[in-house]
Amino acid sequence: MTAVALAPVRHWIRRRQAAHLDAGSALGNLYFAALLAAVLVGMFWPTVGAVFWPAAPTGTRLTAVGVPLVCAGALHLALRQLGPLVISRPAASWLLTAPVSRRALLGAPARAVAAAGAAAGAAAGFATASQVTARPTPAAVLLLTCAAGALTAVLLVALGTVAQRRPGLARGADLVAYLAVTAGAAGMVVERTGPPAAAGAGPGEGPLRYAVLALLAAVLVLATWAYRRLDRTPADVLLAASRAAGTVADSALTGQPSFLQELAEQRYWTSRRWRSAPLPRRVPVLTAQDLRLLGRKRRRLAWLAAATLAPAALMDGSRILLAVAVLLGAMVAASTTVASVRTDANPAVLRLLAVTAREAVVARLWVPVALGSLWAAAALLLLGLLGALPAGPWWALGLALGPAAAAAAVRRARMGLVQNGLLPIDTPMGSLETGPVLAMVVGYDLLVLFGVPTLVLVATGSPLGWQNVLWQALIAGGGLVAYARTSTSATETDLRARG
Amino acid sequence: MDQPAIEVRDLVVGYGSAPVLDGLSLEVPRGTATCVIGENGAGKSTLLRTVSGLQRPEAGSVLVLGREPGTDAEHWRQVVTTVEPPSWYPGLTAREHAELVTRAHGLDDGDAAAERAFELLGLAGHEDSMPTSLSSGQKQRLTLAMAFVRPSRVLILDEPEQRLDPDARSLVAGLLRDYVAGGGTVLLASHDEKFAAGTGALVTSVAELCGP
Repeated sequence: MTAVALAPVRHWIRRRQAAHLDAGSALGNLYFAALLAAVLVGMFWPTVGAVFWPAAPTGTRLTAVGVPLVCAGALHLALRQLGPLVISRPAASWLLTAPVSRRALLGAPARAVAAAGAAAGAAAGFATASQVTARPTPAAVLLLTCAAGALTAVLLVALGTVAQRRPGLARGADLVAYLAVTAGAAGMVVERTGPPAAAGAGPGEGPLRYAVLALLAAVLVLATWAYRRLDRTPADVLLAASRAAGTVADSALTGQPSFLQELAEQRYWTSRRWRSAPLPRRVPVLTAQDLRLLGRKRRRLAWLAAATLAPAALMDGSRILLAVAVLLGAMVAASTTVASVRTDANPAVLRLLAVTAREAVVARLWVPVALGSLWAAAALLLLGLLGALPAGPWWALGLALGPAAAAAAVRRARMGLVQNGLLPIDTPMGSLETGPVLAMVVGYDLLVLFGVPTLVLVATGSPLGWQNVLWQALIAGGGLVAYARTSTSATETDLRARG
Repeated sequence: MDQPAIEVRDLVVGYGSAPVLDGLSLEVPRGTATCVIGENGAGKSTLLRTVSGLQRPEAGSVLVLGREPGTDAEHWRQVVTTVEPPSWYPGLTAREHAELVTRAHGLDDGDAAAERAFELLGLAGHEDSMPTSLSSGQKQRLTLAMAFVRPSRVLILDEPEQRLDPDARSLVAGLLRDYVAGGGTVLLASHDEKFAAGTGALVTSVAELCGP
């Protein structure tokens, strides 16, 4: 059967959409997006400036290799999360099943992703050059690193489109990307924590020129080859990507981050094969379930173990930032199994189990307490060993912090949907939506409240004694018990009744 | 004479100005089954939600096993409902869900009970699947397996035959008959008169229960 030409169909769709579109509203949205971007850049200018154009180069060869490795690995993983080939939900419903050319249908999104990837790659190339080249940086070096970044990104997009239809290749490429991110990050941490080295050891113009030429040749051959095979992408893969992109759009439009969490969980659990096994018997059944979940998230545990090094990367910077990184890291570790708490929040579930809200929350806290404690203990121990903290039993302070991280993680998981219907607050800068603002602090409030001793001790670099550890243990442990008792009913099953 | 397992008197429930149920009365004696049939919007689900304690009545009274239905765990140890579909825990297979439910109810042989329920409901071969990856009919079977695998005295089921093929409908009807024969009480709503008859339940309608 002859394929129907896609261009006139798309043209007709756009014309109909334009007829229903309010031009003023569209311009308003564009203005708002540009303003938001400008405000964000303005707010974070010191950080943005330090990343893209520090006053002097900050890294040596390890940074010159580490930053591109981290950026390339992260870009590949992000592209794989996106698809990277993705079409809108209406297009998946109506055009994917129509007799139109599949290559023409997928060509536009492929070009768009390649263009966005190239822009991100160029930015990463610019940042790398600015971090490692001596001042004044030659314009040719900057241009060549930008070009190398952009071409690498286009290659990664091409690889992603092939991996989307080849699960074996996808698994291998993902593993390489994870290794690249780990190796790159480790290199940067080693450089930050090691003896000072002379910065400004970036690659010269000559080698960069050859690298760009090689990358250009690879793009011409491989990207063209991948582009010509776009029509081999199976429909089920495109439907899954389209649904995922739709969920991301819904999440952004409605301001509901929980949609993304559910999407990530759903993808993780349905992309692997599992075998049923009896739940561990010596602990409450809901804790046994969390232990089973933990056993099935070994890769995440490995990442968490590696991430105990992450605060060390900040040890030369602001001490407050270092303290916040320790607290947030412990909370992230404690959040490993909290997806179960989100399911508990469906009243039908605890009714079926006939478990009271308090029994459920107490059972759900054990694993987060253990993970939060172990992570914080390891991170603080490493900071102590690297000399970022004065002498003292920092590992014990980490163990004492665990209950605070667990309370914060479980409280955040119980938050549910963001309340967008709350009354806005008028401010001189405009009206402030109360629901999203409240949602932003849920969980973190308990982290700060119950983690105050650690926050203060790390931020001020004060000497640590056992009495400080005891205070942290009492505040975090007491806070956790108070949270569990005041936020749940001892007789009723409904977990949503109280925060 | 024993107090009925479910006793509804002069129930009035509405979502707006017009009541969905107006003066409805119903008695389901212990160890019996009653099936409410009727077209869409007749108020079947509203009745089941109210009897389950999930919908507050404007007037009238509801007693389940002699107590007002509420949110306390003690009530839900004796009553199972599928009026609201459950969510599924991420990272737990279908079989592990069944074990979780039995262990939460203190059954030591949870694994064996889960296996029996899976065989009875034709879910053998799907034990290792994540529930979210099952078809809608299989999810309905799994929901019913969860309801049957745990101990209870009252079952409140909203259209349990929904999304099931004819064989599975007969199977579920048989399971409900066995449940009643074992002393349990069932209140269900259905669109399928043949299925309702197969459960051995007393078949009635919202209109009949509301009286003249």
